[in-house]
Amino acid sequence: PADTRGAAQARAYCAPAPVTDVARLCVCDLLVAQCDVNCCCDPDCGPEEFSLFTACSVPVVTGDSHLCRQKAAVYSLDVEANPPERIFQLIDQVNPSIFCIHATNYKQALYLRSPEMPTPENFDDLLNEFGSAAFSAEPESWNMDTNAPDPPDANETQRYEYGVPIQTEDAFLRLPSPVVSSWCSDANPAGFLVNQATKCIRSVSVEKCESIQALNMLFYINSSILAVPKSSQLVNISVQSVVVQSLDGTRTLLKGADVPRLPVILDELCLNVVLGVSYHITYTDTGEIIEAAAAFVLGAITKEALPIQQSFQISFTQVDTKPVPLSGNPGYVVGLPVRAGFGPQGYPFPAGFLTNKHSQLSILQSTPTQDCLAAQGARAPVLFGYNMISGCKLRITAAMKCQPLAQTLLDVLKGQSFPEYVASFGNSQAQDVLDWVPITHLHISEQRISNTLQSSCQIPVSFGIEVKWTKYGSLVNPQARIVNVTATLTTTTVKQLPSGRERTIPITSSVVFTDISSPAEPGYKAWPTINIKLPFDFFYPFV
Amino acid sequence: PRILNSSSQLSSLPLQILFYVNGIYYIFYFLATLAMIVYKSQVFSYPDDFLAPDLAVIFLMAILEVPRLYLGCKGNLREEEAALGLSLGLTVGSVVLSVYLLAWQTYVLWADVVLTAVLLCAYGLESGLKVMAIAAFVS
Repeated sequence: PADTRGAAQARAYCAPAPVTDVARLCVCDLLVAQCDVNCCCDPDCGPEEFSLFTACSVPVVTGDSHLCRQKAAVYSLDVEANPPERIFQLIDQVNPSIFCIHATNYKQALYLRSPEMPTPENFDDLLNEFGSAAFSAEPESWNMDTNAPDPPDANETQRYEYGVPIQTEDAFLRLPSPVVSSWCSDANPAGFLVNQATKCIRSVSVEKCESIQALNMLFYINSSILAVPKSSQLVNISVQSVVVQSLDGTRTLLKGADVPRLPVILDELCLNVVLGVSYHITYTDTGEIIEAAAAFVLGAITKEALPIQQSFQISFTQVDTKPVPLSGNPGYVVGLPVRAGFGPQGYPFPAGFLTNKHSQLSILQSTPTQDCLAAQGARAPVLFGYNMISGCKLRITAAMKCQPLAQTLLDVLKGQSFPEYVASFGNSQAQDVLDWVPITHLHISEQRISNTLQSSCQIPVSFGIEVKWTKYGSLVNPQARIVNVTATLTTTTVKQLPSGRERTIPITSSVVFTDISSPAEPGYKAWPTINIKLPFDFFYPFV
Repeated sequence: PRILNSSSQLSSLPLQILFYVNGIYYIFYFLATLAMIVYKSQVFSYPDDFLAPDLAVIFLMAILEVPRLYLGCKGNLREEEAALGLSLGLTVGSVVLSVYLLAWQTYVLWADVVLTAVLLCAYGLESGLKVMAIAAFVS
């Protein structure tokens, strides 16, 4: 398998040869095996197509205009003839300037150079020539760079910062991930507070599966993590759970995950092969790691199922907090749900007031039956930036009473527990009271002109949530911030129907996101002023 | 003692005229070629490892030209064949360098071709006249 892979890669590495013949070059020939419109140099076009063209989009194809003499391909349409036909001429174009290039001994002067394809032989040279910090081969040198700005003060406590690779006893906590191609690379370090989920392919052989490190559970948990960079405090990685996946894909959770299960060959299968690892790291707000756990998915592999796919995941939780999925950091990310919550009734804004149950704003979800009364709580979450409209049809019969109907419709439109506050940023914490925006409720009641004195009950027919958001922060990296949320409920009176008749009213519910950001004004520093003053005795003899 | 205005004068007048004209023309040629190299480096892609040999050749030619013309003039006027022979040798070197500028430069413009061709013609004519003068001096 390795040989065929190498041969296939070698074939893929040959770049196509550059075309320099002017008669064969055609920049407007974009469609393969099809005639491009108004492209007179397209070889796929025949005389019938040429007769339909109106003009030639590419009239002349030449090389560098600085050359003294060169061939030029001239394409034109003869519209006088019936039918119009294309004229192709290969002429000698002469540059009359005295500074035209007569000859050149430098290949790249007139043609772009084909880049060198990396092969296993020249890869190191190319890396030395073109590699920089972004493509550095050793993660150790990268580590030096990120720690260099810190003053080497032994007394100052180090801590992990966002993106810094998590250090273990021997090197780094590795999260195998696909680099360039889909094959697993074991040299990818996990960054602190960088939640990642990767999937990659590994080529293994069933006979040697016991000796391959990457299939073994212990490989992922044997080196302990340093609690703080460059310290001697170690945090052991504990095994949180082990799930065993059978050949047909069913997974069962193992009880008693204390004993590590090593790969073992049985008949033609290799059992207890690591198919997925999920790390959960707990950290404090001072940048120290206090706990690490790994959950494994072990499976069996056969010869036919090679190569295997492994998936890896790492997530970080702050100690003493419940992990809440963020919708952005800090500004909302388009497509993530808008976070909302409740405050305690009555007393406004004590510390730590929001409970996050039902912490999403939701909108009625249209069902295929479109019957409002049959819509059993199907709701869709409101995603930031996505305007949504949904609705249902309400069939009113004479027998329906207004008041219960209004209450039912209100439940259908608003949902079981409509939140009171919406998070202003995607990562607003419940304890930061000022980061939450209260939802303003508006009530519009449509009165029919003829029934001016009717004070009969009204049923809600439309519920619209308008979310006003603004761009906040720096000009080059603006963050979305919700400023105002207004929920408008429109109600209307419904006349009592004569018995036997029924009416259908459409009920709508919508969410609209409006950008109210004011135009940004970049602030510049004052222009430097040039202060030139001549010395006072400059004109000495004359002054 | 040789009498100058009798027929026993062996110094070649055309050669002397040619030296004079060559000197003036060479100054113009040197400045023009240098200016064109500057122009080429601005308009075209002219990496340093191609620019360096071209500049080296043109400066070497300038350095060779001075002794070449001086020795030629001195040899012709004093009717010394040794100096004239040395000048002929230096002319060969100059011819090689101008052939480089004509054919093997990184960018050869049409103006380059014209100027260098004229220079080569002058060198050729000079060499012919020098050979004849040496023959006259020796015999």
